[in-house]
Amino acid sequence: MSPPRLTILISILATVVRSADGGTGNTPIPVSVVAEMIDNAEQGDAILVPAGIYEGNLIIRKPIVLDGSAGAIFDGLGEGTVIEVLAEQVTIRGCVIRATDEDVTGEPAAIRVIAADATIESNTIDDALFGIDLREAPNAVIRNNTIACKNLEPGRRGDGIRLWWSHGCTVEGNTVRGSRDMVFWYSEDLRIDRNTVTDSRYGLHFMYSHDTVIEENDLRSNSVGIYLMYSNRITLRGNRLTNNRGASGYGVGLKDCDDIIIAGNELLANRVGVYLDNSPSSVDSTGLFESNMVAFNEVGLLATPNTHGNVFTGNAFVENEEPAATHGRGRLVSNDFARDGVGNYWSDYAGFDLDGDGIGDVAYEPRSLFGAMLANEPNLRLFVHSPAQQAIEFTARALPELRPESTLIDPSPLASPPRINSAIAGGGIGGARMAVLAATLLSIAVACIAALGFERGLPAPQTGVRS
Amino acid sequence: MIANSAAHFSATRQTPAAPTLIGGVARFARREFRDAIASKWFALYTFAFTVLAVGVSYLSLSGIGSHGFAGFGRTAAGLLNLVMLVVPLMALTAGAGSVAGERERGTLLYLLAQPVSRTQVLLGKHLGLAAAIICSLCVGFGISGGVLAWRTGGVGVGAYTMLVGFTVLLALAMLSIGVLISVCSRRTAVAMGIALFTWLAFVFISDLGLMASSILFKLRVQEIFGLAIINPLQSFKMAVIVNMNASLDVLGPVGAYASRTLGGALPWMLVSSLIAWTALPLGLAVLLFSRRGSV
Repeated sequence: MSPPRLTILISILATVVRSADGGTGNTPIPVSVVAEMIDNAEQGDAILVPAGIYEGNLIIRKPIVLDGSAGAIFDGLGEGTVIEVLAEQVTIRGCVIRATDEDVTGEPAAIRVIAADATIESNTIDDALFGIDLREAPNAVIRNNTIACKNLEPGRRGDGIRLWWSHGCTVEGNTVRGSRDMVFWYSEDLRIDRNTVTDSRYGLHFMYSHDTVIEENDLRSNSVGIYLMYSNRITLRGNRLTNNRGASGYGVGLKDCDDIIIAGNELLANRVGVYLDNSPSSVDSTGLFESNMVAFNEVGLLATPNTHGNVFTGNAFVENEEPAATHGRGRLVSNDFARDGVGNYWSDYAGFDLDGDGIGDVAYEPRSLFGAMLANEPNLRLFVHSPAQQAIEFTARALPELRPESTLIDPSPLASPPRINSAIAGGGIGGARMAVLAATLLSIAVACIAALGFERGLPAPQTGVRS
Repeated sequence: MIANSAAHFSATRQTPAAPTLIGGVARFARREFRDAIASKWFALYTFAFTVLAVGVSYLSLSGIGSHGFAGFGRTAAGLLNLVMLVVPLMALTAGAGSVAGERERGTLLYLLAQPVSRTQVLLGKHLGLAAAIICSLCVGFGISGGVLAWRTGGVGVGAYTMLVGFTVLLALAMLSIGVLISVCSRRTAVAMGIALFTWLAFVFISDLGLMASSILFKLRVQEIFGLAIINPLQSFKMAVIVNMNASLDVLGPVGAYASRTLGGALPWMLVSSLIAWTALPLGLAVLLFSRRGSV
């Protein structure tokens, strides 16, 4: 569209708006004003919506660009879906959208798209049941939006971003907080990059969605970081999954997924780093885990006993409470823990590397008696992190006949941890506060000794003094 | 307050006025604190605890480059284990030596000849030793906190503060039990022996016994939980974990049961258990010490 026509359009609309809100900019304006602007616009026009609060529900039936970057706020007043897109090639950019309905029956969303080729970018969504909802909306781009969902109990929340039968979409640079899932149903050939999801149920959730690349997402403090279900040929690369420890508590969970590649990710301080439930499920498929950092989880790798056909190479398993365990009885020996003579780094490996080739000279075979007891008696998990647990492990080391079979065999464990850094910056925060705490504790000790430890006028009782 | 009237009377002839209740306690607390920090056990325990705490903090974060910030949970688990081993030993033996030692050396008679009640003497001793142990813990946690600030960028300041707080509560509980053992023992060696056995019982025997019973008798989760929190060490551990994770789910079905059924009351219940383990043995010790005819 040519610049002069845009200018004219804006000046006309600005007049309409000024008459509606008395020129203050804070009085609510009915959203029908914007609907009129769209009606008056040509196909493909860019509409720069003047600053103001627009109340009500908007339906877009024409391919236009709705630009709210001048300060447009769309307020659904807690009723229905705020903006619904029924036309192809619509762009919604720079808007603030808030207050959808709370009742899940109509699945109210801040933005719902039911058409192809939409672009939703740089919007701020607040107080939404569903954030951005794409239904049969292929080739959409959802970029750099910030989404905060309604502050409901987890069971009543909606999804921050949901794709349903929407192939070929790009979802990148979005920030979602306090939602249910960012979920992808029956949608193929997606790019999911650099999104941040926190305090939600599943960070990224795939259902029957194949052939997708997921890179450099940051998924923190959710119940599960990434849960892939019945989805094949998916690549996870350079993602960081931290502190996901809800009811399921997996960094990455795979259920019946074939030909998955998980490489260069960081899985830190989750309840379970990687959870494998019958993945891969087909006979000829594999799951490849390469160069991931799996550290500080309660369980590094947890798998159902029937799990087989996965390859683990060049990963670092560092300081997990249990490096690897099966869900119930069984062993993980039908998976390969080395490829071409390159195994994984295990921080509890007690072997040695005499020839200095970087590969440990004896196989890594973790045999934790307490771990084996846990597999049979889950209630005993109450006693983790206790000296009694250490005593049991010590006994098993001292009396080899008590040692259980190893849960896995890594024939060529790495002698030192490989360098693995995702592209996401670490959270180096609060160092000063910890230093202050440390100094406070030390000064309490010094103050105690100074106040009580020396003669200070008051004579001590005249009694025998201990040496 | 049960005052020893004879001691009180004889003492008033030497000093014009008997100290107030608080003053008497404070005087004995100060003396006990001074004796404690000048003694070898204090230096030894402080040194051992500090070295181990710094070691745990440092080693659990080594070899992982920029990922250290997420390692606080693992470090805390290591510190938890360390605290549960060392702190009860420290507090039980300190308490066990308190009265029995003086009794064996004959200095207890002199103490009781002061114009103070037996209750004041005992409370003073408990307070003084408590202050000494808190000092020792502050040194250990302070220095390892410095290591964490350097290595992790200080994630988990709140959780670390609470860990220190719960450790102090645990130490007070163990000290009370130690003092009770001491009041009941005529000789230091006996008191120390009982204290060591008590330590073994709390740290290993009760947990291992409960594990065995839960397998043998197929105990239900609520029974296991009920029996577990009788042990102050388990209460301490659960309090730390519930504070860090907002739930006990990491402790498996039993922990999940506790979190679901007790919800917000759980942390308070655990803390009350620790406070009860401090107050009841100390109260019993005061009663026994006041009633005891001989010294």
